[in-house]
Amino acid sequence: MYQFARFALIRALLALFTLTLVSFIVFTLMELVPGDCAERYLAFKNSQGAAISVADIEAERIRLGLDKPYVQRWATWIANAFRGEFGDSCILRVNISQLLGQKFWLSLGICLSALVVAYAIAIPVGIISATSRNPFLNNSLRLVSYLGLALPNFLLALIIMLFSTVVFGDSLTGLFSAEFRDAPWSPERVQDFLSRAWLPVFILGWSATAFAIQTVRALMSDEIGKLYVTAAAARGVSGRRLLLRYPAKHALTPIINSLGFDLNRIFNELPIVALILTLTEAGSLLIEALARSNDQQLAGAIIFMLTASIVAINFITDIALALTDPRIRRSIVG
Amino acid sequence: MNRLLDVENLTLQFDTDEGRITAVDNVSFTLGAGEVMGLVGESGSGKSVTAKSLMKLNPDNAIYGDETKIILHLDGGPVDIMSLHTSSDLKVIRGGAISMIFQEPMASFAPAITIGNQMVEQLQIHTDMTAKKAQELSIEMLARVGISDASTRFKQFAFELSGGMRQRAMIAMALSTKPKLLIADEPTTALDVTIQAQVIDLMKDLVSEFGMGIIFITHDLGVIAQTADSVAVMYLGRLVEQGPVREVIRTPAHPYTKGLIAALPQLDDLDVPLTPIPGDIPSPLERPPGCVFNTRCAVAIEGLCTREIPLFTQVAQKHQVACHLYSEGDDK
Repeated sequence: MYQFARFALIRALLALFTLTLVSFIVFTLMELVPGDCAERYLAFKNSQGAAISVADIEAERIRLGLDKPYVQRWATWIANAFRGEFGDSCILRVNISQLLGQKFWLSLGICLSALVVAYAIAIPVGIISATSRNPFLNNSLRLVSYLGLALPNFLLALIIMLFSTVVFGDSLTGLFSAEFRDAPWSPERVQDFLSRAWLPVFILGWSATAFAIQTVRALMSDEIGKLYVTAAAARGVSGRRLLLRYPAKHALTPIINSLGFDLNRIFNELPIVALILTLTEAGSLLIEALARSNDQQLAGAIIFMLTASIVAINFITDIALALTDPRIRRSIVG
Repeated sequence: MNRLLDVENLTLQFDTDEGRITAVDNVSFTLGAGEVMGLVGESGSGKSVTAKSLMKLNPDNAIYGDETKIILHLDGGPVDIMSLHTSSDLKVIRGGAISMIFQEPMASFAPAITIGNQMVEQLQIHTDMTAKKAQELSIEMLARVGISDASTRFKQFAFELSGGMRQRAMIAMALSTKPKLLIADEPTTALDVTIQAQVIDLMKDLVSEFGMGIIFITHDLGVIAQTADSVAVMYLGRLVEQGPVREVIRTPAHPYTKGLIAALPQLDDLDVPLTPIPGDIPSPLERPPGCVFNTRCAVAIEGLCTREIPLFTQVAQKHQVACHLYSEGDDK
């Protein structure tokens, strides 16, 4: 128990270290973009018709602390970031954590739901298809899988939007319908959210499921062919017990391993899907921040949060692996 | 000696993408209770497939011949194994009346389940023991096969044991249900020679203690000479010679058996060059017509061995060979 706690602690520290390292890279990238926050804001003001001078820029720089050395600014930034404080957005001039808070959790929730849905479908389907010799079942699963892998998410989103607009007269875009968009949270708002959130979850989960089915199927087929399964059958273990306790249990380790990777992929797909479904509440803010307004502060904060989520899920899968696989557990606990 | 196992006309084909492959062709043998039979042959001769057939462990694409009969004589009466189809029917024999030990002890234990749990599981499938009783018996069996500190090993995983210890644990598990027949599929091939000797000694002890029949599969005639009472030599899915072990090894009749014995290195005279059997075992997809060995046989009879399948001929007491050189009425 003590050793396990120590292992968890070491992993947690490693995760924090990774995050710090990533933050340094992100911060450096933000610095490499020509111009800084002060210039950008005043240029934005200028474009709105205000007259500005070089002295104004200098004053703004000092006000934002941009005259301080690079490493010191990074240290301040990362220290604040760990406390969930990212300062103000360059352009919008509002507090980033207030701007992102709810949006971030909604995005994370959508991505995690897509991941859960994907594996909730893929694990049973993958196991069945690995054990079944029914050619019809296998071929139709293969077809669905290839469709999932080949059909780009944005195209699927567009098709569904088109379909629902024609059939229901509602494009199903956005995470809330008009009357709830700015309303405070209430049971009705939750209901409204759920009635709309399934669509991005479905679209993001679609390719993730196709991918996960292939993974589970391949892993299960591998395990089923192994000698220990024959040996267990030779001892009289049969039926579902033989399947679940032997190959399925042993295929679990690599499946858990692939979770972090899959979440990463879903995160990467979220901005585009969010853009098409006009989910202003979710990932589209990243594209907005990066591509349109060139808002380094905001983009940095978003990338930091995404990285933190992925580091966190990798930490969780590490712990889960140690719990499920004795080979890994014994290498820690001895 | 009481009869334990009758195998008659065992024929097994596999349905594959490349067509139907004959893996076992019309194999018949009998085994008495307490008898150890060695099944010898090169890789690909069909030894393991034959052994797995006895528990119907071959994959789903295996097709058994219509004439195939496998009868296991148990205390409660004979069991017709070919008539068992579902895995719940087969439960009685799999791990109960018949146990099997595999070549790779590491690969035959599930890596993420403790050795103890796998042993207890088997006992609970085949007996109505409580978990506690099953655990006691398992630890006792582990100690019996010479594993020190058995109660610790019980809780360990296969990867935490050494190779020899794993095979001992496998033997302990196989014998825990007191099977009537033990199939040992190259149980010592993956072990060091010194460990191999220990495991063979252990198996000999256990045979006399438990009185079960053993089918010992190997390509090593030396191991057979030490352990078996009788031997059956297999080539490309067919039995070519069978008889008492000493008789067959001292006076082999079939050219293939002679070749196998001649191919053994002579430790007492190292200057004698090795005499391998020329050529390779043909692919099961290209089974030669007539005698299956004719493509590699130095003494094949032109026009006969390539056409006609030789039948078994008695050459001595209980010693039979399937070779045209010995067929009665042939013009030699």
